Amino acid sequence: MTSAPTRLPVPTTSPAGEAPRHPAPAAAPPRRRVPGMRRRASLAGLVFLVPALVLFGYFAWWPIARSVVLAFQQTNLVDPAEWVGWANFEQLFADPLLPTAALNTLWFAALSLLIGLPIPLFVAVAMSELRRGGALARVLAYLPVVIPPVVSVLLWKVFFAPGENGVVNSALGLVGLGPFPWLQSPELAMPSLVIVATWSGAGTAILIYLAALAGVSTELYEAAELDGASIWQRVWHVTLPQMRGVILVLLLLQIIGALQVFTEPYVMTDGGPANATVTVLLMIYRYAFLFGNYGVATALSVLLAVVLVIVSAVYLRLTRSWSSS
Amino acid sequence: MSTHKRRVVGIAAAVAVVAGLAGCAAPADEEDDGVVVISVMGMPAATNTAALELFQQQVAEFEEANPDIRVVGSDMPWDAKTFAARLAGGSAPTLLRVPLTEPPSLIERGQVADIAAEASELESFDELNPRIMEFLERDDAVYGLPEKSYAFGLVYNRALFEEAGLDPDAPPTTWEEVREAAKQISDATGKTGFGEISTNNSGGWHLTGYTYTNGGTMIEQGSDGTWTASFNDEPTRDVLEWWKQTRFEDDSMGDNVLGKQEDLLAEFTAGNVGMWVSAPPDLYPLYVAAGGDPEIYGAAAMPQGGGEATLAGATVLMVNAKASAAERDAAVKWMEFRALRPNYDPEVAAAYAEVSAEDGLPVGVPALPLFDEARYAEIQEAIAEFVNVPVENFDPYVASLDTLAYVAEPVVASQEIYAALDPLVQAVLTDPNADIDRLLDDAEARVNTILEQAQG
Repeated sequence: MTSAPTRLPVPTTSPAGEAPRHPAPAAAPPRRRVPGMRRRASLAGLVFLVPALVLFGYFAWWPIARSVVLAFQQTNLVDPAEWVGWANFEQLFADPLLPTAALNTLWFAALSLLIGLPIPLFVAVAMSELRRGGALARVLAYLPVVIPPVVSVLLWKVFFAPGENGVVNSALGLVGLGPFPWLQSPELAMPSLVIVATWSGAGTAILIYLAALAGVSTELYEAAELDGASIWQRVWHVTLPQMRGVILVLLLLQIIGALQVFTEPYVMTDGGPANATVTVLLMIYRYAFLFGNYGVATALSVLLAVVLVIVSAVYLRLTRSWSSS
Repeated sequence: MSTHKRRVVGIAAAVAVVAGLAGCAAPADEEDDGVVVISVMGMPAATNTAALELFQQQVAEFEEANPDIRVVGSDMPWDAKTFAARLAGGSAPTLLRVPLTEPPSLIERGQVADIAAEASELESFDELNPRIMEFLERDDAVYGLPEKSYAFGLVYNRALFEEAGLDPDAPPTTWEEVREAAKQISDATGKTGFGEISTNNSGGWHLTGYTYTNGGTMIEQGSDGTWTASFNDEPTRDVLEWWKQTRFEDDSMGDNVLGKQEDLLAEFTAGNVGMWVSAPPDLYPLYVAAGGDPEIYGAAAMPQGGGEATLAGATVLMVNAKASAAERDAAVKWMEFRALRPNYDPEVAAAYAEVSAEDGLPVGVPALPLFDEARYAEIQEAIAEFVNVPVENFDPYVASLDTLAYVAEPVVASQEIYAALDPLVQAVLTDPNADIDRLLDDAEARVNTILEQAQG
């Protein structure tokens, strides 16, 4: 399906290849034929695109358009939907949980950048320095990504069991720390979720960083070495500047992903204890599927989408000069 | 492949996909010859062979007696998420089988039909237990018929009671006694004396049930008909204080207070929990299916704090609001045939019991009677030879069903209210310095906002 567009050039190049069979009146005929061929080519292209357009349109764009409409409606899915103007947004802004959820989501994003950005980068740089066992290290690093998210989250829920018998607590107990209440404590619950999210997501980032690292010219390192740069100076002055494009893209993806966090709080804490891990997406879920209020749920979804677009736009503008310099 | 061939193949592929999608969207053909087709939830899963056979046999019998009705069974359990989507897409079942907490919100959202006209035609309708029917009736409207009903009680581990030096035949009856017993169990065995849950709305659900036992209510209706929060008062405050003391002063509630019912059931089945509050008859089949020992399962009266009341509800059969009059009528006939008769007709009850017993399912779990006491006794007698549950372990619970008042869950925005109360319960159970008065004030304001919006 997705390969259809990439095949588009084929029809145009093929007749062009046949051109020598009709050499007669010099350059003029091919020039006249090209627009016709392009029309046919674009028609063929369109036909190839139709399945993708239909699938995307039916299952992605139409629902998105519908949800924007639904944000201004109230429906019980039985009677015709009723237009309510901005009432859904008003109800949303009157919900005292919204600021809590927004702050929690930002707190999660901040923590996951603090922990989730440097760790994969550090691991990738360290792995690229490995002389042996690189393949094994890559497999091990990527392994958590292969585990289905809900399974890994449930596993961590067991690991984080409170009391002395919990897996994490008994490990920490060996060095005289704990026991900590982890998910049972309003202060520790969010950092615990960030640890899980980082653990399950780091593998992908590590692989991407490794690929970017492979693209850094060895000559630069040699030159730096000749100048007497230490390993840290090489990382700081050669590796990081060479990788900043990749780092910036991953950072943006991570911000967007973190602001949409759902699985971890939904499965591990259900937003608790005492609303400490309620996130925006969890609120959307509750409004829609617990309270059956689809209007407010979609209003909040639209709001989140708008915020994400703004964040992305501002981010791209701020970093454009840096990434291209 | 030549360009032309490629184009033809491309067009054919596109046409095939579009046609496929169109095919997906087209509804299945309905029978047009005057036969009403109803889809019903509650068909046993394929793995439950004997029960499924009985179901199919019942469908055949029912269709023979009602040649103008065709019943299509669905073994999909209730799921609020898919229900909404199926309702929107027009493929929700005609007959819904919904658990305990759903009816109020379904009624409020207008997603279920009023079946008063059809139900009142049934022979057994007038005999239905009015204490259960009051949960399903609003003014003159009837929104469902009960399949089974439940009331909160104390579930306890008889083996842990003995180990801790407590008498398993004399379980605690007041909250003070429960607290003492919990301490004794956790001190003597190192296990959780009293288990508690507080996520996925279970915190609010339990707080509501406990408040009733102290004589309190969660919401009250003013003279102008509007509902407001009424829990910022002594009965609820006492529950929260009790939790705080049992959790932090006695340390007899274990470390994990942030689970949901399934989590605590697993811990209880594993023998790690002394006591907890739930619906004992509803829980028992799950407990046995999970490998729990029937002999150590104890069911006692809901502990009391002066209210002499317990929270009650039911597994209910309801009809999709989109059903036509003919479908409504057929669905109510089926409800009577499948759900009411086994509690009403001794012969049918015995047949059910025999199949269930053969399949290793619990038979004779004492429950809140759907009809009057005489009818209940008659049914119990009919199934007596198939009973495979240690019924005497339920004695204290059964005795309480006659004496305690049943109080329904909040009739407006119950799920939203529970969701708003979960954080309050979690705060008290996880923070030894929780300020109960401030938390109650916050929760009251939040619930009042919810109620305003729900009634607005």
